Amino acid sequence: MLDDHEVKKLLLRAAARDEGSAEAFERLYRLSAPLMLGVAQRIVGRRELAEEVLHDAFTAIWRRAEAFDPLATQPVAWMMTIVRNRALDVRASHDVSRVDSYHDAPDEDPEGALDRLFDWSSGPEDGEDERRAARWLRDCLARLQAVERQALVLAYDRGLSHGDLAAHLGKPLGTVKAWVRRGMANLRACVETCMGGTRQ
Amino acid sequence: MRIGENAALDALCGEYLLGTLRGRARRRFERALREEPRVATRLAYWQRAYVPKPSKMIELEPPSRVWARLERELQLARYRTPWHRRLGFWRALAVAATAALALGIGLEVLRPVQTEPAVQIAELEGKADVARVIARLSRDRRTLELKSARAVVAGQNQSYELWLLPAEGGPPVSLAVLGSLDARFPVPSAQADRLRTGGKLAVSVEPAGGSPTGAPTGPVILVGAITI
Repeated sequence: MLDDHEVKKLLLRAAARDEGSAEAFERLYRLSAPLMLGVAQRIVGRRELAEEVLHDAFTAIWRRAEAFDPLATQPVAWMMTIVRNRALDVRASHDVSRVDSYHDAPDEDPEGALDRLFDWSSGPEDGEDERRAARWLRDCLARLQAVERQALVLAYDRGLSHGDLAAHLGKPLGTVKAWVRRGMANLRACVETCMGGTRQ
Repeated sequence: MRIGENAALDALCGEYLLGTLRGRARRRFERALREEPRVATRLAYWQRAYVPKPSKMIELEPPSRVWARLERELQLARYRTPWHRRLGFWRALAVAATAALALGIGLEVLRPVQTEPAVQIAELEGKADVARVIARLSRDRRTLELKSARAVVAGQNQSYELWLLPAEGGPPVSLAVLGSLDARFPVPSAQADRLRTGGKLAVSVEPAGGSPTGAPTGPVILVGAITI
């Protein structure tokens, strides 16, 4: 996984807008573009749209790098949000939902889907806190009710809106919104219980 | 926007990261994120504890055209370490002198040149995705020929420019502006004797018609040492 420390260094170098800024930005692109393209592809479902998202997102990253807060500790998450939001917008404007059937949706084998889609291992740069947080999150996701977990994973991984979820799952909008809301609240309660348990 | 009590803020952070906060609601949240530090702080907490890392299995290799387009549109060449400094060859650039030498060579490329046996004087190499190019000089030192391992043609708004980095130092000297890396052209007579061991040949990508400044402005894609 991308190293926040390295990514931050490159972002700040790119933001300096002097000699060497282009090299830093290129290195940032080489390091992160494959993952970002993968994330975009999961959401928009079509390769040419995903490449468009990648282009637009990196244009925004270059332009907004100057506004990036040097004190922020999560530059990878900052970049990921830019990519995801662009992908969500493109998905909405191209009506991707009607042609996509989500063959690999986590409807069956929910535990397998969690391990296929996400990386729970810890990198060498992760501390004990990160390792524990990842374990708690995975355990708590696995413990959610199946419908809640499914709604959360489809929304996050495939970029489904409430309306898309209702259509895909064949349930009323209100029901689906409640699953998302409850899923989130239950996930949070579970994770915070784990956190509380370590404080004593 | 003022976001009310913490429960509402948490719900918004969660749905923002999940991606179900859309349209105007998302833009309002993003404005609050910029204007209200506590929103940013809370989102950072959510980010750390509730967002799983994506698996490497979903990664896809982007085609090179995506980066090429970014490089062009964002005009990244302006923010690159000038290549002659990066290679460590030149201390100072006498731009004016170079411009004077470079003037008027562009059109000579089109003039037909008679064939004559030639000797290889350099092998130009660059990054892996650029074909290697052999440079040959005619025995009378008046004609230079480039032969690319595979066809490389400049884009619509680009030209290649061949530079001599003289053995005795000094700024790079333009030898030719080219549309393709398979080319044959006369050597500017003032440069014929400077093509010798210790010098280098380099190819940069320039706007159509060649460097506007008389010194290389675009990325250098090929470099090779001259051996005669």
